[in-house]
Formats: sequence, structure tokens, C-alpha cells
Amino acid sequence: MKLGLRIWILIVVLFLALLSIAPWKFFDNGVLIKSVEVNSSAFEQGLRQGQIINSIDNQKVETIQDFSEVMGEKNFSSNQSIKTIISTNEGEFVLFDNKVPEITVSLLPNSNLKTGLDLSGGSMAIVKAKDKDLSRSEINDLIDVVSNRLNEYGIEDVQVSSVSDLQGNNFMKVEIAGATPTDLRYLISQQGKFEAKIGNQTAFIGGEKDITSVSRSGQEAYIETCQQAQEGYFCNFRFTIYLSEEAAKRHADITKNLSVNVTQQGRYLNQTLDLYLDDKLVDSLLIGEDLKGRVTTQVSVSGPGTGATEKEAFTNAEENMKQLQTILITGSLPYQLEIVKLDTISPNLGKEFTKNIIFLGLAVFLIISVILFIKYRKIKITLAVILTMFSEAFVTLGVAAFISWNLDAPSIAGLIAGMGTGVNDQIVIIDESVSNTHLNMKERIKRALFIIFGAFFTIIAAMLPLFWAGAGMLKGFALTTIIGVSVGIFITRPAFASIIRQMGE
Amino acid sequence: MEEKKENPEQQTRKFNFNYDKYYRILLVIPLIILLASLIYLGIFYSKHGDILYKDVSLSGGTSITINGEIDQGQLEGQLKAKFPDVSFTKLEDVASRKEIALIIESSASPEELKPEIEKILGYELNEENSSTEFTGAALSQNFYRQLIIALIISFVLMSIVVFILFRTFVPSGAVIFSVFADVTLPLVIVDILGIKISAAGIAAFLMLIGYSVDTDILLTSRAIKSKEGSLNMRIFGAFKTGFFMTLTALAAVLPAFFLFTGLPDTFRQIFLILAIGLFADILNTWLTNASIIKWYCEKKGIK
Repeated sequence: MKLGLRIWILIVVLFLALLSIAPWKFFDNGVLIKSVEVNSSAFEQGLRQGQIINSIDNQKVETIQDFSEVMGEKNFSSNQSIKTIISTNEGEFVLFDNKVPEITVSLLPNSNLKTGLDLSGGSMAIVKAKDKDLSRSEINDLIDVVSNRLNEYGIEDVQVSSVSDLQGNNFMKVEIAGATPTDLRYLISQQGKFEAKIGNQTAFIGGEKDITSVSRSGQEAYIETCQQAQEGYFCNFRFTIYLSEEAAKRHADITKNLSVNVTQQGRYLNQTLDLYLDDKLVDSLLIGEDLKGRVTTQVSVSGPGTGATEKEAFTNAEENMKQLQTILITGSLPYQLEIVKLDTISPNLGKEFTKNIIFLGLAVFLIISVILFIKYRKIKITLAVILTMFSEAFVTLGVAAFISWNLDAPSIAGLIAGMGTGVNDQIVIIDESVSNTHLNMKERIKRALFIIFGAFFTIIAAMLPLFWAGAGMLKGFALTTIIGVSVGIFITRPAFASIIRQMGE
Repeated sequence: MEEKKENPEQQTRKFNFNYDKYYRILLVIPLIILLASLIYLGIFYSKHGDILYKDVSLSGGTSITINGEIDQGQLEGQLKAKFPDVSFTKLEDVASRKEIALIIESSASPEELKPEIEKILGYELNEENSSTEFTGAALSQNFYRQLIIALIISFVLMSIVVFILFRTFVPSGAVIFSVFADVTLPLVIVDILGIKISAAGIAAFLMLIGYSVDTDILLTSRAIKSKEGSLNMRIFGAFKTGFFMTLTALAAVLPAFFLFTGLPDTFRQIFLILAIGLFADILNTWLTNASIIKWYCEKKGIK
């Protein structure tokens, strides 16, 4: 058989889908580094998020349990540094430390396909302001605050995003994979209290009353200097905040009684300006000598960022600045929040579901193949249809992996239901090509295409509203369906028509 | 298949004989079913204030899924006293004959419901052994309204596409009418079965709108655009293709009820609605739509 352009396109797309899904990750051994504590010795030695640990001290590490066992056997004590050899996909790292390396690990994913919370477990919350409609920018500020807060609390694998619905309501959506923190409800719905203290006296608090504005860009917010330090680099950020008259006076009253410390970095007051969020210390700022006792509405806040390279330190400084700015801007939210939806899904049930869905998908594939063979009694035609059906499902998964789409149960339902209807195009092509014998082959395929394109556009039209309705909760269902039929119409169907035409001729 | 063994001419003659005489009567059957469905939905609406039963994701409340084999009777007896609206669904896997989980739904909040269940079960519910889903009343009603609007938009968009395809009133109208009937029948059946519809269930209705059109397009295009053979033969030819198409679509959704049933509730509901809808589609395409098209072609002199 001649491999025409259309068949080549199908082969290339299948190959790209394979690359995108990366099923060979199934055979990778090791554990994935999920996070590394900045400034820890592990970080300084170059361990980073995303690296894969294969072994520690020459002992194989394949599961999280292996990891904790190896670490547990090591005798860390505070007065003696011991050696740990961590071998990763990016080389070997040798640590000398008196405490357990400050890294967290997770199991390696089997492929690039990701499942939704309803299958992998985790929690999802939809939050809105109490008795208030939020604008886009208000939602974005809210997202910054909440992400920041969740990070402060050390919650990993969290995604905070904005969703809006058909009526233009904006919500904040918080998704956390894996274990659900017990105080999640508190973390995402609490109003949040920001305080700046010197010693135990409050200088100013978050919100417009004390902080009239925070510079976020331009000449009043920038990364100041980057220097090489003993280990790696550090950069300094600096930005200006504007205090109200009242807050400035309070600040002056407190600072006028403080003494000056002379340090390597410069001349600073002997007490720091401590920033608290929900009574938790988030940052301590040094106060320059020139601010002592002065009523100033303009406060220059600075802080460091560190990293192994200058670029890393710069990015870190930028992140730190943004975090702090965010706290200062919306540390105290002007409105109360309300959780309107909160799902916490057990990962255990999801495993059972995933297993059954895979079996179901295989069963459907098999049943349709058998039905096709019974109908056409021709192994070639049956194989061609099966191949296209498989290609459609596979390429749809490839696209899902490529755009990092989390496949939830409705998404997969759309995919499996699509397998049944995906072969319909092929059936139409076969039947149109064997009927209408007075027409030439080209004309017959053209007839088939009218039906196929008609069905394609109706499906797109019918599923489109789901992208917006109900805050996009069923977007996945519409997405897999639309990707599936699009792959069918633009890639597998032309290839299939070309195969059938060759068989017919 | 079987009919291939028969002599095609003989078969066509038999078909002609039956079809020409009875096709108007064939049209009456689905019309009666549709009329009865609409009356049923009318009565249902006046009784319940809505055209379907909504689950907690659309009406507000809590759904707690407890993993493993749970004694439903014990829970039911004690919970009903405190939460009169509580309802239960068991998730079983047919293949392994294993009870996977028990789903408890109520309009109460998780803070109210959870401690009561824990008291009865005698152990704490955590994320190892259970899932909790809560949807606020205002949000769920909002979602429901939007999904219904989406359903209407979906139907309108589908209608526009069909009109653009055929550009004539009666054939397009017949397709749209047939799709309307495809959506109505599953709705009546899930109501009769007392199934509470989730957001995913309504999405399934949207999918049904999209997926049930292909056989109608096939039929209409073969009947009015093609010139080969007699009209009856073309309709019958379309039927053979279309019926097989619906059959493969059913082959994709039915195993979820016989082979591997331990699936998420949203998943099963989507498949249930699609399955009923596909059965309805066989009826509506090959009785309703085919009869209207045949009548139209005879009027227009298309043979």
C-alpha cells in the first residue's frame, strides 16, 4: 500500500502524541523531588525540584517508603555533620549536614497524563466574597493572597485560579492534590490579618487605613543589587510603601526610642520591623538609621533573594518582593470570603475507579472491534477502523497530556463515548463508498464528507456552551469530546478515507 | 449480517410493501410517545416544581462517599430520623462482586452530617476512608440555571447548524424535532427511575444533542440529495448504516452497566443518559424523521 501524505500526517501525529504522553516513564525508577528548602544544604549543593533520585548512599530508592527508610537509618544528630550521597538523573550530590536533607519527594508519574481530583484524590474549593460581586482584578488580588498564604503554611501542589461562569460571576478556585490539610477551610476563607510590629508595639497594619499604597513596578519597586556571596548569589529587592499620616506618626513614636546597630551591611536600628500574617511571622525587615523618630509616609522596604546562580537569586528576590507586596496590598482583605463549594476526595476510591475505567476502555475497544468484524467480515477493513478508533483516543490523550489537562471522570467519559461515535465516520465512508455505484469514488467520498462534517459541526455547537456554564466545571467533558471529534475529522478520517480509496481502487 | 443472505430485490420488495402502506402509522408511534412524555413532564413539573430530580451538586448540600462495604440499613434507620431528606446509593462492581462504596446525600452541611454518621459507624471519617463533597445552595442553583441555559443554547446552535446544512424548512425541522424527542425521552425515563441528576448528567444531555444528529443527517442527505435507487431503498440503506452507527455508539456506553460498574457516579450517569438517548434516537430517526422525510419527498416528487 502506498503511504500518501494523509497517512504520513497520521503517523507523525501519533508519534507526537506518544512523545507527549511519554508512557515509558512507567519504567523509570526512583522518586521525584517535589520541593527543596531554599538555603538548606541540599539546595546549596544543587538539588532542585524536578530531579529524580535513583539512590541514596548507594541504596536503591524506588518508592517513598524506600526514601524514608534510607533517611531513617541515617543517624543525624545536631552536633555532627554526616555525609549523604544522593544520586539523581542530573548527577551525584554529596551533602554534609547535621540534619535530614530538607527535601520532599513524591512517586514518579507513570506518564505525562494527569488525572483530575475525582480520580487522584485531593480537594477543591470554590470561594466567593460574602455579599459582594468581585471584579476580575479583585479576584486576581485575592488569588495572590490566598496562594501566598497557602505557601506560607507549607501546602504543596496547590493551584489557585479564577473561574467565571455564564453570568459573569467570578470565583476563586483552589485545588490541592494529594492530602487535604485539615485547616483548609480556615486557610482559604479567613479574612487575614496583617500587622507590622517593632518589638511588641504595632507600627501599622495591613489595609488602606495604614498603608495607602504599595509600589509594584517602575522606579519604586526593583531588584537593587546582586552580589556573589560565599555560597551562591544574593540579590536585594526594594520597594516603597506609603503610609497614612497616622501610621507614619505611630512608626516615628516607636522608632525614636531605639538605638543604632552598626553591622557589615550598614547602620540599622536595634529592633526589626516584624511583619505578621494571621499572627504568624512572615518577614523581619531591618530599619535604616535615617528613619529613627522621623515622621515619614514613605517607607522603603527591602529584602534578599538567594540562589546558586545570579539568575536564580534574581528570580528569588522578585518572588520574595511580590509575596511581600501582596501581603501588604491585601494582607487584610476588605471583604469576608465564603466557601461555596468544597470537595475533599479520598485518593483510595480513585485508585479503584481508575482501574475500572481502564478495564472499561479496553472492553469497549474489544467489543466494538468484534462488532465491526461481524459486520464487515473483512479483516482489512476491521483493522483499519480499529486503528483509526485507537488513533483518535490516543491522540486525544496526547493533546490532554500536552496541555497538562487533568482528566477527570467526565473527561474520560467523553473520551470513551467518543470511541463509539468516532468509528461512525468510518462506517459512513465505507457505506457511502460501496453504495452510490453510479458515482465515481471521489464523488462518493465527497457525499460521505458532507454527512461527517455536518455531524462534526453539530457536536462542536452542542458542546460549546459547557466551556462557560457552571464555572467551567464540565469543561473537561466538552474538551475531550471536541478534541476527539476534531482529531477524527482532520487527522484520522482523511487517512482512513485514503486507505479505503486505495482498497476500492 | 443476516439480511445479506437474502436476495436483495426480494428484501426490497418486502420493505416497499410494508413501508409505503404503514409509514404514516409508524410516525404516530413516536408522536404518541413524545406527547405522553411531555404530559408526564408537565405533571412532574407541577408536582416537583422542576422537570427533574436534582442531586446535591445542583440543589445544594452534602454528599459523603464512604469507602468499602457499609451497612446501609443501620445508617438509613438512624440518619432518616435526623435528616429526613437523606438518600443512599451503593456503588458495586459487577465483575468482582464487590461493594466499593456507599454514597450518602443530604441537603444538610458536612458539619452537621459527618458527626452523625461517625457516631453510627463508630469511627472517624477521614480522607483515607471517605470523600466529602459540599455545594452551597446559592451556587448550585446558579449552576443549575446556567446548565439549563447551556442546554437551550446547545439546542439552538445545533438547530442553526442543521438549517445551514439543509437550507430547507421541512427536512431541517424534521431533524430538529427528532433531536428534541431524543432529549425528552431519556429525561422522562430518568424521572421515572427516580434518578437524581448531577451537573455531569445535564452535560450528557448536551452531548446527546450533538451525537444524535449524525444519523439524522445521514438519513436526510441520502433521501434528498442522492439519486440512486428508489427512495425506499435509500431510506433503508441509510437505516442499515445508521442503525449500525448507533449500535457501535451503544457498544461504547453499555459495558459500563454490565462489565465494569465500579465507576464514579458522574461517569455512570453520563453513560446512562447517553444509552437511553441512543435507544430513543433509533426510534426517532427511523420512525419519526424517516416518515417525515418520506412524506416530504413524496410531496416534492423526489423519488
